[in-house]
Amino acid sequence: MPPLVHHVLAGAILLGALVGLVSYVTLLERKFAARMQSRIGPYYVGWPHGWLQPIADGIKLALKEDVVPDAADRWVYNLAPLAFLVPCVLIFATIPFAPGLGVADLNIGVLFFLAVSSLEIVGLFMGGWGSNNKYALISAMRAVNQIISYDLPFIFAALVPVVLTGSLRLSAIVEAQRGLFGWHVFAFGVIGPLAFLAFLVATLAAENRVPFDILEAESELVAGFRVEYSGMKFALIQLAEYAHMIGTSFLGALLFLGGWLGPGSQHVLVGALWFLLKAMVVFLVVTWVRWSFVRIRVDQILAISWKLLLPLTLVLLMATAFVVALRGAAGA
Amino acid sequence: MRDGASFLGETWQLVGAVRRAMAVTLRNLFRRPVTVQYPTVKRVYPDRFRGILALTYDRETGEENCIGCRLCEMICPPQVIKVEMLKAEKRNFARTFTLELYSCEFCELCVQVCPTDAIIMLKTFDLATADRRELLLDKDRLHALGLQHQPSWATGNRLRDMQAPPTPAKAEAKAEGAAAAAGGKTEAKEPAE
Amino acid sequence: MADAEARHVVEIGYGGNERLVMNMGPQHPSAHGVFRAILTLEGETVIAVDAVIGYLHRCHEKLAENLTYVQYPSIASKTDYVAAMTAELTYVSAVEKVGKIDVPRRAQYLRVLVAELQRIASHCLWLGTWCMDMGGALGGGATVFLYAIREREMILDLFEALTGARLLYGFHQVGGVRYDLPAGWTEQCRRTMDFVAGRIDEYEAMLEDNAFFLVRAQGVGVISRDLALDVGVCGPLIRGSGIGYDVRRTEPYSSYGDFDFKVPVEMAGDCYARYRVRMVEFRESIKIVRQVLDGLPEGPISSRPGVKSVGQVRIPKGEGYTRIEGARGELGCYLVADGGAKPYRLKWRGASFSNLAVLPHIIPGCKIADVVAIMGSVDPVFGEVDR
Repeated sequence: MPPLVHHVLAGAILLGALVGLVSYVTLLERKFAARMQSRIGPYYVGWPHGWLQPIADGIKLALKEDVVPDAADRWVYNLAPLAFLVPCVLIFATIPFAPGLGVADLNIGVLFFLAVSSLEIVGLFMGGWGSNNKYALISAMRAVNQIISYDLPFIFAALVPVVLTGSLRLSAIVEAQRGLFGWHVFAFGVIGPLAFLAFLVATLAAENRVPFDILEAESELVAGFRVEYSGMKFALIQLAEYAHMIGTSFLGALLFLGGWLGPGSQHVLVGALWFLLKAMVVFLVVTWVRWSFVRIRVDQILAISWKLLLPLTLVLLMATAFVVALRGAAGA
Repeated sequence: MRDGASFLGETWQLVGAVRRAMAVTLRNLFRRPVTVQYPTVKRVYPDRFRGILALTYDRETGEENCIGCRLCEMICPPQVIKVEMLKAEKRNFARTFTLELYSCEFCELCVQVCPTDAIIMLKTFDLATADRRELLLDKDRLHALGLQHQPSWATGNRLRDMQAPPTPAKAEAKAEGAAAAAGGKTEAKEPAE
Repeated sequence: MADAEARHVVEIGYGGNERLVMNMGPQHPSAHGVFRAILTLEGETVIAVDAVIGYLHRCHEKLAENLTYVQYPSIASKTDYVAAMTAELTYVSAVEKVGKIDVPRRAQYLRVLVAELQRIASHCLWLGTWCMDMGGALGGGATVFLYAIREREMILDLFEALTGARLLYGFHQVGGVRYDLPAGWTEQCRRTMDFVAGRIDEYEAMLEDNAFFLVRAQGVGVISRDLALDVGVCGPLIRGSGIGYDVRRTEPYSSYGDFDFKVPVEMAGDCYARYRVRMVEFRESIKIVRQVLDGLPEGPISSRPGVKSVGQVRIPKGEGYTRIEGARGELGCYLVADGGAKPYRLKWRGASFSNLAVLPHIIPGCKIADVVAIMGSVDPVFGEVDR
């Protein structure tokens, strides 16, 4: 079929699968969190164990009244969920689920991912500003501070596997992790684990997850920049947040945990399954951290970023480059 | 400026603290949840559970226990009980007995003062309704509730006995007094102020 | 409204020219009840706070003038509804003091028993809500909250077996207590104490040494020793600021003198110090409960007969004040009796009311996130504040 139709179809399938995946990941998180808190989580909707809960939530949000505050800046307020959603969904374009299974395996895949995922801040700030609500505004200010500060360590930590591989193409990075301990998380003794750890911490902060969720801080700012949104717009914001969360889990699995590699991965579907499994492991670790700690103040968050994570990731990146150059000089 | 050793030491301490906290959460992941899936599963209520109120019948004769003495009405702090006495030859009854359950505090004082153990509390609280008027319990409703559900251990006489355990002489006098209670002896000492 | 001169404003030389007045309103996830704090912000820093209370005023003191000494103890529990036993104890102690009524030994020991159990339950709630305020309802704070409530539910099960109610008991009466221990209760109590002691170790493992927790709690909301004495805070606040004042030690009531327990004192005066004080109080309360269970004497549970009529208790003319160490501090009741069955005048001294007075001194200068941490460590209950 003509390539345009092929691409549109691939994109549509990906979008549909993404929405389904995001919904059920919220259910996974709720059950996981509930079990850690000695309770059960969703149970009765879609008895047993709440299998229909995400669908019920989605229907409820779609049917809710769309409330726009009287003094809100209408254009900014209404466009903010879209401006927040589009970058968060666009990052999935470059992710290869298995060899050949992906929408577009760009040869600047990592760069595209990192660049586009940073655009979500615009949508976030638009939401906070357009709501004409002091809580939302404070939250938006904190968000801009925090996400910008943490994007730098995030990028540097993500660049470590790139340097180890020598390519920005995501499928090439995965291919370079063949072998028993070939995963980049085990690279060169301490560099790989440290880089993965820094990546996880930066992910927590870039996703506004506790302990870095000061921007939505339910106990201070109720819901942060989302406070004035209800109904379908709120659903879009939730979708975008969780999609971004899963996207960075996918990236972590690709960059550090070997992507689709695993026993039996010559079959495309088995490879894709391994990939999803590893991404869910990353997601669950992040969720586990989320439900174990209290949050810290915004100035402390920024201090950690600028004084701890950024120097650490810079040093890691330089060490990686040094080690790769040595290996190349020795091998060549 | 911190020296390198203390920075590493602090980082190591942070790692240890993170590990400890996450270990607690992980341990709880594998514990059984404490949720009680009401109403499929009901937990066991203790004997003295203070549930909804009800009126009782005498176990031997089948007559209503309530003698209409209005002690419960006078002691109720939010004044939710309204009683009208009906005088009869051998003993008195309550002509009407209204209890506004929506305002009841469940303090058990009415149960405490009742001389004939007429008003009691039950071991259930499940009377949720969408219409508040259904919680305005009249005498028939109260008697019906008393027959439907299990009563709590705490009745007036048992509570009073617990608070001032009777000596043997008092116990005899009480037994005699209970027999004569059908004779309509009202006990109102001080009128309500 | 706030008195403009008494307001304490901290000038931080911001450089920006926007002061934002933000309302942390009576409906707020971490208002601990109904508390309105009007914050003046410059950037992220609070420079002044106007506190508005009174949203829960229910005229307790007037109500007490219309209810007899037999009826009011059930209502007294609704002042400090989180620690209802100590609230009732304050009222009946005041009545007994003015009326010179003895309380039998067993009743005194039972009062100590329930007061200490109530202290443990109240501190469980404090820990849970404080961590939830600091950590978010969707986050680690909620985890600590659910663990703490799980343990509190066990203690409430004990109370339910004893009185029949879980939150507001009506356990005390003038001259003693209303309920005696049912069969099997002491074994259940001992088991619960062992279990809770083990769980407190878990909470400490989660929070102690945890850098995330420490940066939120250390150095935040420092109440200096002089400030504590000037403003008149009480309870864990004053013990966290270096002054070892505990009513159970200075004026032992209800045979507290028979028990051996430590009064924890910390010097730092910040949220972490108050946290340490309350964690030690957890364990000390467990110790006292065990001592009471070991040494519980036999005897009547009340020096007055059981309640048979509403006007049964008449107190001769007199007035008096009693103070009790509640979970939040010094709870006091001043009673004026005129010889009838109802008090002439009743005045509650709410522990949280005096504790809240320190907020305008310590909040300005800190960040918004610190406001909730400080509120949580002050642990107000608005039933006590507004009565």
